[in-house]
Amino acid sequence: MASEPMSVGSSALEPPAPPSASNEPKYGGYTRFELELELVQAMGNPQYLNHLASRKLLSNPAFIAYLDYLQYWSRPPYIKYLTYPGPALKNLQLLQQEKFRQEIISPDLVQALTVEGMRATVEWHRESQG
Amino acid sequence: MEKHLDARFERVEKALTTLIDSIAKYNPSEKLAEDLTTADKNLLTGLRSLEHHQNNSARIEALRQETAALDTQTKDIISTLWSMRKEVKNTTTTTYPAASPKYQFTTSDLLSYARRISRNTLPPPGVTNGLDFGASPPPQELPAPEEAGRSAAQTPNASFNNGVGTPAAAPTPSANGEVLASQATVTSTATELPMHLKPVVNPSEGTVFYAWPIEGDVRGGGLAGYQQLFDTGIDPKGYDPEEVERRKKEEEQAKKEEEERARLEREEADRRMRQERERMARERERDRQLEAERRGSVAGGSRPQQKQQFAFLDLDDDDDDE
Repeated sequence: MASEPMSVGSSALEPPAPPSASNEPKYGGYTRFELELELVQAMGNPQYLNHLASRKLLSNPAFIAYLDYLQYWSRPPYIKYLTYPGPALKNLQLLQQEKFRQEIISPDLVQALTVEGMRATVEWHRESQG
Repeated sequence: MEKHLDARFERVEKALTTLIDSIAKYNPSEKLAEDLTTADKNLLTGLRSLEHHQNNSARIEALRQETAALDTQTKDIISTLWSMRKEVKNTTTTTYPAASPKYQFTTSDLLSYARRISRNTLPPPGVTNGLDFGASPPPQELPAPEEAGRSAAQTPNASFNNGVGTPAAAPTPSANGEVLASQATVTSTATELPMHLKPVVNPSEGTVFYAWPIEGDVRGGGLAGYQQLFDTGIDPKGYDPEEVERRKKEEEQAKKEEEERARLEREEADRRMRQERERMARERERDRQLEAERRGSVAGGSRPQQKQQFAFLDLDDDDDDE
């Protein structure tokens, strides 16, 4: 397969510059990169969002600012590290909305998101097949 | 137009009246009759032109309406354009950074990424997350044996096989047919298999696929570990369990080495003490021998020589012990 070089533009908002590998501080044995990657992907899980809401994090202005900051995962060069890109980015986008942050505390919404997500994972492939 | 027509009417009437008069006076004249015909013809052409005129006026009216409609349309377009222009002028344009970085990637990068995420984005075959697809195609395995049987029966090789072992080959298609028939009856009576057979047909029956990290993943991850450290009162910043573990191991290793060294030293001291004791024992022995020799020389004979030999052997033995 020919490997043609391509390129994709990044947004004006630049992600933080990665620190040099050797003296990178660790948090409980993990780098910030690892922890934030894990967080962004865990947020693809509606139940996890509900858990965050139940701990009153989604109404905390500092956390909301952090959610905004986490959007750097939706852009290169970081986006390629997501192994659950779809739900993670979708929920990250939804989390920027005040209404969603307030309503995810409802188990009904969690249930609806779960069912819809499960349906979508099966159906998108069937559609592309047909 | 009306005047024109009125004049023609009058002329017809006049011609008619004169003709009637002339008839009434019993003096009909051909000229008068012709006058009436011409007048009538004139009237007819007048009426025709009236019709034409009316058509024209109707057309003019229609054209006027059209013009008016087009005018309003033009006005609408112009006003829309104007408001659009205003809108466009008010839109804040995105200012692109002059040196927007471009991230290079290749198709192989893309493919490797696709392969990496595919296990999280695509459910394994047979997993439907409990969705019922009414129009799902029938399983591929079922028609296959029948087709195989049929094609085998049609090929010359099959007939050759049949000639060799007819009883063995003959029942196979019928058996398949029975299987298929039973399958068909099952599907016709009930669209679903009985519960206990479902896992046999589909090993992943009842398994659910999520396109996001499940609770277990989150609970076993680094964030959970961080929380645990936080809960136990350790500041996770700069704290590395692996590093701590390594240091602990190192300390243990050092302790072990220390113990080993102490043990070796103790053994060495013991050995020295034993050697010292042995040396003192040997000296005492030698003293005793010397004493004995002295006594022997007093007594005489070859024994002292023998004694010396033993003493030498004794020494040798001691060396071996060391």
